[in-house]
Amino acid sequence: MIDDKHVIDQLPAYALGSLDDEEAVQVSDHLSVCSECRSELETYQTVAAQLALAGVESNPPPSLKNNLFDQLQIPQTTKSRDEGKERRWLVPRVLTVWSMVSLLLILALAVGSIFMWQRINQLEQSARPGGMYSFALIGTEILPQAAGYLIVGADGRNGAVIVDKLPLLDADKEYQLWLIREGEFTSGALLAVDEMGYGGRRVSAPDNLLTYSAVSMTVEPAGGSPNPTGEVVLVGTLTNP
Amino acid sequence: MDYSKLDDEVLIRLIVADNADSLSELYDRYNRLVFSLALNIVGNPGTAEEITLDVFTQIWEKAGTYQPEKAKVSTWMTTITRNRSIDVLRRRKSRPERLSADLFQLPSDHLSQDENLEDNAQAALQRERVREAVAQLPEDQREALQLAFFKGYTHRQIADVLDLPLGTVKTRIRLAMGKLRKILVD
Ligand SMILES: [Zn+2]
Repeated sequence: MIDDKHVIDQLPAYALGSLDDEEAVQVSDHLSVCSECRSELETYQTVAAQLALAGVESNPPPSLKNNLFDQLQIPQTTKSRDEGKERRWLVPRVLTVWSMVSLLLILALAVGSIFMWQRINQLEQSARPGGMYSFALIGTEILPQAAGYLIVGADGRNGAVIVDKLPLLDADKEYQLWLIREGEFTSGALLAVDEMGYGGRRVSAPDNLLTYSAVSMTVEPAGGSPNPTGEVVLVGTLTNP
Repeated sequence: MDYSKLDDEVLIRLIVADNADSLSELYDRYNRLVFSLALNIVGNPGTAEEITLDVFTQIWEKAGTYQPEKAKVSTWMTTITRNRSIDVLRRRKSRPERLSADLFQLPSDHLSQDENLEDNAQAALQRERVREAVAQLPEDQREALQLAFFKGYTHRQIADVLDLPLGTVKTRIRLAMGKLRKILVD
């Protein structure tokens, strides 16, 4: 690109949408071939996006929230922050020798898998050996470094969850994976992590795993809870690639 | 589950899964910003309420189209709000006119009671930062910038409204945005 063809001067107005149609077309034509101007534009878009914050503020009527939920025909549950107090404190489950063995197997598989799936995700979404699915789990604000994968077999009947960089929990706590569909939470797995923050577990649910639309992981009393009560550490969506 | 601790992007992911509590939390966080922006643009509280309902309806229905790599959730929401509000304004086909009042809020010396109570002190600080930056613009640049941002007017329309040469308007907008970029981005 020759310098005098750059559209630097028009970019502030382009970011605000205040160019005439004709000018705007010229600028967007140029942007499609010039990465220099594109990155310049991004900085102005960042500015434009923040201008809304500078506006005079007013509150909508409090009733507007009810109108929204009525219009969408979804129930507005009033979440009580005391919910956690009704936790069921279950006797910690004793791992049988057999379940220990299968857990170790899953962990062994998982160690290979997390690197494999990370690589695959970086390469091509479409590369799915044997038709298997992998869904990335991301750490929430309280644990931004935490990560994981939910791996589901091609037919959706079997799955495994692997997690990394989660804090080691006290013996009376466990991580619980939730499968979410239409706002309902179903328990999918209970798991612990080692000193490295690493752990894995088989996932089972009453329905085909691919019928759920999202997952989350919370900290629950050992043995699990019927519904999530603790802090959310990971979330992910199960949108089919 | 305490939704107030989840960040915006996580709420959007849960909304994709039809989790109503996440929409409720997102509404609590942003209803003031969405409503205020709509009201500043259309100038009528009833219409601003309708736009606010539309925006959150769209988020409920189209959360799956949100692309985190392209914009923050708050930016995505204000973009939807601004586009929708300016559409409403244009459909009225009223002649472009000057602003009757300043739509940029001056920075406050101290955070208001509302802002102190706010869960998200970070957001309050960011807002103050933008207000301080905007307050540093000369009056003539502020006015041109407001007409572009809040009314969606083109350079030509701004020149007509303010009775100025087109080149002057272009320069004012460019200088205003350049200065804000220096303060807010660099
Ligand atoms: Zn260029």
